[in-house]
Amino acid sequence: MTPIRKLFIANRAEIALRIVRTARRLGIASVVPWHAHDRHGPALQDADHAVQIFGDPPASAWLDIAGLIRAALDAGCDSIHPGYGFLSENAAFARAVVEAGLNFVGPSAEAIELMGDKISARRFALAHDVPVTPSADEADDPRTFADRARAVGFPLLIKGAAGGGGKGMQIVRDASRLAGAIATARSESERYFGDGRLFAERFVERPRHIEVQVFGDAHGNVVHLGERECSIQRRFQKLIEETPAPGLDAALRERICDAAVRLARAARYVNAGTVECIVSPAGEFFFLEMNTRLQVEHPVTEMTTGLDLVELQMRVAQGEPLPLRQADVRWHGHAIECRLLAEDADAGFVPDTGRVRLLRVPRGPGVRLDIGVTEGAPIAADFDSMLAKLVAHGATRALAISRLREALADTVLLGVTVNAGFLARVLEHPAFVRGETDTGFIERHRDDLQPERLSEGEQRMLLAVAALALPDPAARPLAAPYAAIGAWRN
Amino acid sequence: MNTYCFRDTPHERHRVQREPGTDRVRVDAAAVDVRAEGGGRFVAIVDGRSERLHAVAHGHEVYVHWRGRAWRIERLDPTRSSAAAGGSAAGASCAPMPGVVVSLQTALGRHVAEGDALLVIESMKLQTTIAAACDGVLTELPLGVGQTFQRGAVLARVTAGAPP
Repeated sequence: MTPIRKLFIANRAEIALRIVRTARRLGIASVVPWHAHDRHGPALQDADHAVQIFGDPPASAWLDIAGLIRAALDAGCDSIHPGYGFLSENAAFARAVVEAGLNFVGPSAEAIELMGDKISARRFALAHDVPVTPSADEADDPRTFADRARAVGFPLLIKGAAGGGGKGMQIVRDASRLAGAIATARSESERYFGDGRLFAERFVERPRHIEVQVFGDAHGNVVHLGERECSIQRRFQKLIEETPAPGLDAALRERICDAAVRLARAARYVNAGTVECIVSPAGEFFFLEMNTRLQVEHPVTEMTTGLDLVELQMRVAQGEPLPLRQADVRWHGHAIECRLLAEDADAGFVPDTGRVRLLRVPRGPGVRLDIGVTEGAPIAADFDSMLAKLVAHGATRALAISRLREALADTVLLGVTVNAGFLARVLEHPAFVRGETDTGFIERHRDDLQPERLSEGEQRMLLAVAALALPDPAARPLAAPYAAIGAWRN
Repeated sequence: MNTYCFRDTPHERHRVQREPGTDRVRVDAAAVDVRAEGGGRFVAIVDGRSERLHAVAHGHEVYVHWRGRAWRIERLDPTRSSAAAGGSAAGASCAPMPGVVVSLQTALGRHVAEGDALLVIESMKLQTTIAAACDGVLTELPLGVGQTFQRGAVLARVTAGAPP
């Protein structure tokens, strides 16, 4: 047992604050880094100490392994929490932290390496009875490729092994079209990439992104804390996440969660991890990858289980056994999170910059806002565009949606374009309300998700408010003698 | 009386007049019942309904929030042409989003044709080629490789009919 007394948080913005809060509750001192271009984070006010880190561009300071470890040691810390992103899945960082005599709040460097390499992770999953997307590589045995491709199952994708960008790819829905698709894909691949070797892979239409939160400790215990659905994405980035996954068959959920635990146990996984899968409309699931860190969307799991995942991370890192067994985990109600990003969703999700000129946070039962900016903070292109996560919990999915919509409408963040309006339109879209969530949702419903035009009366209302918000140049009160002088300057 | 516009529709002008001593503002000759409550909060009566809004001003711009949506409104100073309302001067290529210059495809003083690639920028891992807006001479190319810029920044200006 190595109790943690002083924690260095190698991160910033909302996750740094969130970790500081749990550290404080556990009686652990916290140290957070700041940078000349990042001095407004809310964590800097709440942490016990803030230390300056250096780097140009600014984000590089959070990727500077030696610099971060040095800052942690100089501040007298005994442990480092990597948060998410940055170095959280960097095995060299995990190793360097331990070699420097510090406690790394996360899994071992070996586990990070195993799961960080997509090919080794896939092989490991297969070896432990966790399904992966069926595929066939022509290079393994060209003579049997067509037969092995057929065995992959339909619909499937034939693509050039050396290619990309959608060229040389053929979707095959029927065995009778397979030979023709192979011929076409081969000739296109030869033409575009000079290499006609092919690869066949099961094509999952309308895939749902379903992931399982797992937790292991140093005593061999592994539990799962349920699944999350993260299918509402744009440009492969998650926008809305929820738990439980709507309409997911109970037996399928159990199979996915069991597979995730099996995988983590086989890897002797310690601390928090997430096993990501895709689920087909037919109810098959395939392992995608494992994230060896805390995820952005962990709050939805916290709100339905009543657990503090960062607290569990700290306990496990201190060598304690997990304070609960699988049978102790209980889920209640439904939780949904949406990511507030500094971007103009209506102009093609273009990032925006500016400054937070007015900030008003929503309050209410079952509402949680994890925010990484303060009023007055500049929003530049230096970092990720996520400003905050707004999460709502309700006894049912409908109640959670209703609470989230209300909280979203009440969140005031002025001074930079935020995607709140777009998120609200997704949440009220009938397909979302019906739980028809898959990774193609935003693209498919793009036209429905356009903003509503304002009525003339609404336009006048906004203009009137704007007029009151501006100091009126014509209304400057002048004392009589000066007014009499008129426009006169010395 | 002042002229206002929504930043997204800079050519639609609105006449706005405050009526001091009343809870009314005239917008395009229609009266709007509205009052400030302090702390950035405002209340307006529209169609008999009371609506709560928030707003904050910065220079000549106001950010207004209503029911989860936000707008930028600009008060136009007749003696100054705003970047938004004036529109981009012909020949100027402005940054569609904040980012960094990746490479320059041409040099200052060169003759270019409409559509010629001038420079490549990158933002959030997306690369975009900025092309000449018209035929002419490249009279402005203010940024070098590696330099960053905000949305709306002039990345290049081609002056039509200028001598090379």
